[in-house]
Amino acid sequence: MSMLKEIQKSLFKKKATVLYPFKEREKVHIPEGFRGKIVFDRDKCTSCLLCARFCPSGACEIVTDEKGKRPIFHLELCLFCSQCQEVCPKGAINLTEEFELAAFDRKAFTIR
Amino acid sequence: MQEEELQKTEKKSAYELFFDIPVGPQHPALKEPAFFKFRVEGERVVGVDVDVSYNHRGIERALEDRNYIQNIYLIERICGICNVAHTLCYAQAVEQLHGKEIPSRANYIRLMVEELARIHSHTLWLGVAAHEIGFDTLFMYVWRDREVVMDLIEMLTGNRVTTAINTIGGVRRDVSDEAKDKVKKGMNILEERLKYYRKVALNDPTVNARCSGVGILKPKDAIRLCAVGPTLRASGVKNDVRRDDPYTLHDEVPFNVITFDTMDVFARVLVRIDETLESVNMVRYCLDHMPNGDVRIKLPLSPPVGEAISRVEAPRGELIHYARSNGTKNPERYKVRTPTFENLPSVSEMLTSKSDYEVNIADIPITLASIDPCFSCTARMEFRDVSKGKTWIWSLKELKAHCSKSRR
Amino acid sequence: MDFLLELLQILVFPGILFAIGLAFVYEWLDRKIYARLQNRVGPLYTGPSGILQPFADFIKLLAKEDVVPNEVDKPLFNALPIFALTLSLTGFLALPIMDLRGVISFNGDLIFLIALMTLICIVIMYSGISSANRFSTVGAERAALQLLGYEIPMMLSAISIGILASSMWVYDIVSIQANSLWFLIGPGILGFAIFVLCGQAELERIPFDIPEAETEIVAGWLTEFSGRKLALFRLTKDVELLYLSGLAVALFLGGPSGPVIPGLEFILYPLYFLLKTLFVLFLLTTLRALFARLRIDQMVNFSWKYLVPLAILQVLIVRVVV
Repeated sequence: MSMLKEIQKSLFKKKATVLYPFKEREKVHIPEGFRGKIVFDRDKCTSCLLCARFCPSGACEIVTDEKGKRPIFHLELCLFCSQCQEVCPKGAINLTEEFELAAFDRKAFTIR
Repeated sequence: MQEEELQKTEKKSAYELFFDIPVGPQHPALKEPAFFKFRVEGERVVGVDVDVSYNHRGIERALEDRNYIQNIYLIERICGICNVAHTLCYAQAVEQLHGKEIPSRANYIRLMVEELARIHSHTLWLGVAAHEIGFDTLFMYVWRDREVVMDLIEMLTGNRVTTAINTIGGVRRDVSDEAKDKVKKGMNILEERLKYYRKVALNDPTVNARCSGVGILKPKDAIRLCAVGPTLRASGVKNDVRRDDPYTLHDEVPFNVITFDTMDVFARVLVRIDETLESVNMVRYCLDHMPNGDVRIKLPLSPPVGEAISRVEAPRGELIHYARSNGTKNPERYKVRTPTFENLPSVSEMLTSKSDYEVNIADIPITLASIDPCFSCTARMEFRDVSKGKTWIWSLKELKAHCSKSRR
Repeated sequence: MDFLLELLQILVFPGILFAIGLAFVYEWLDRKIYARLQNRVGPLYTGPSGILQPFADFIKLLAKEDVVPNEVDKPLFNALPIFALTLSLTGFLALPIMDLRGVISFNGDLIFLIALMTLICIVIMYSGISSANRFSTVGAERAALQLLGYEIPMMLSAISIGILASSMWVYDIVSIQANSLWFLIGPGILGFAIFVLCGQAELERIPFDIPEAETEIVAGWLTEFSGRKLALFRLTKDVELLYLSGLAVALFLGGPSGPVIPGLEFILYPLYFLLKTLFVLFLLTTLRALFARLRIDQMVNFSWKYLVPLAILQVLIVRVVV
């Protein structure tokens, strides 16, 4: 009968569901230190290429631009393990709390 | 039971009443691909044939191509639910290769996250089990309350499921004092709710009717068939890696090894609920006794030449990792033995009718679920001809035939 | 004119169209209450608070591909969904809604109403067997076994009310309850409980959703049906839910009767009918949320050990009272 009591209670309780994508967006609580979208700071990068060496899924591609070698991050391959952030000696790579990463265009997944 | 034995039962039947019911590879009772062929006589199951070789991912081979740091994240993806156990086991194996001890605070954090993951895995299982016996209300309630522990894991590690907290030489994140308070609060909520679910499991007539006396695994059979984890403990055998071969700080943190001797699905439900309550207490102990200090030591990328074996009590049972290093930055050989693979023979034992108890079709889902199966880590071997692009699987018979041929 | 009025009654109100519309609303309510009991939201986005969701599901299924496997018994397989829907709609026509008598009403129609429910179950059995699928066969077998379990107590509880009213005519039963409050709540209360429980089994809902137990035998007897046929079967289930709660109201809760202002019966009667069926629906939904699914042997056991003796007791009580 303990179940009956619980059922009665939830009849008048607030619903547990968060109507996330349409309403109640603000209720989705993202804690500090969440591993989300990668942000890259070109000015801090020293072209040490450690990020590409330790990336487990090959999401870090090394290209050459006017200042020398640098990584490009492919979010469609990324595991969000933040290993690149950990090994970066200059703190040029950061994982933000942004998690809504779906897009129609593949280009949106490439972080320059 | 193998194919031949199934055919034997067919011949024995006096009536032509047997037919086969396929469960899987796609079936509502299974969350992952596996195939069970049940020979039934009306509602009664008389034989079962198990095939789990779907979804071979070649992880052990892939581990040999990546360096030790990259492998943490690959190991983590062997199983999403018990990822903490896998990374912990891996990190221990590699530290053993290095021959280094990690700081005490790191050990506390490792243990705490491991136990949080156990809470999350067992409550997940409780919900799935409730769904398998058609108790959707309990399923919804359990998963609602599971969110508490999911949020705690997310706060501590940065992700809800794939935590990526254990690394070689310690843990990647420290626990702040605020976080400690939040975990404590969460543990109070969880303890209250889990005690309530224990009451429901004990008192609800339909749960009792569906779980008691179903899927019986006698202690003798459990040991003979190498069952591990809660499945073994529900048969009354006191066996827990955390007690028998303590790793991290399990010899310091007090806990009880939960056993029940009714040997059925009901015992497995209660073992898991009680274990979760023990985990709650262990997390509390860790929070109270955590020393200050470093959480990580730096280790070189390539460990010295050597071999290492490490064992961890994953939520589903004993997990064993074996690593061999040749001094380079990639492991030379890596071997993982997952608990579900060990528990599968017991499943066919539980699902075969005997003289003293019968298995119904209705008991199949809950009995299958009672070992907390995770089939994607059970596919062990497949052959691949790279030049022809062909992939195939050999049965034991074919493998033996091939071996005897090549011996000649 | 009379003929036209009757036709209107059969087709529109309180006939087929009303039944189908109300059935969709009741399915929505059922889902909504079930979700509420589980601390969830339930259907939300189709129409205000998702009220059009069952209708949208129906339309979607109508538009889906209708697969007929090679091995099935084609004439039966194609005809059975229509049979099932016809049977449940016919039953609805005999319920008293606008008046103390239904659109179809004759002396002895209680037997007809109960027979209809059994017929629906037989249609279910046939659809399982004609599907030539292993899961369907097991489902059909279970449906038949379950019928053996719940039919007798259900009939006994219905007949006990017949004995109380000394008539097998739903009109008589409703009028005797309308005239005396004692008959409304007194001797029939145990019968009402048995009827609701057996109704749950008839509707194949938890804890008696054994013939279509999802985690065990996929969808049971429904496994092979798709597209239009599945849509019709789902509609049948909805109408059956409405029909069953309507029948429970007519037999045990005084049908559409209640305190009326003269001249306003045609509004108040359907209103009372709706309120009372909603109460029964709420009971049915709560039962659904409260239990785990039983095994078929446990269900038959339960039924013959407890429900049948209780139903006999109910008949005895009624006998003593009369």
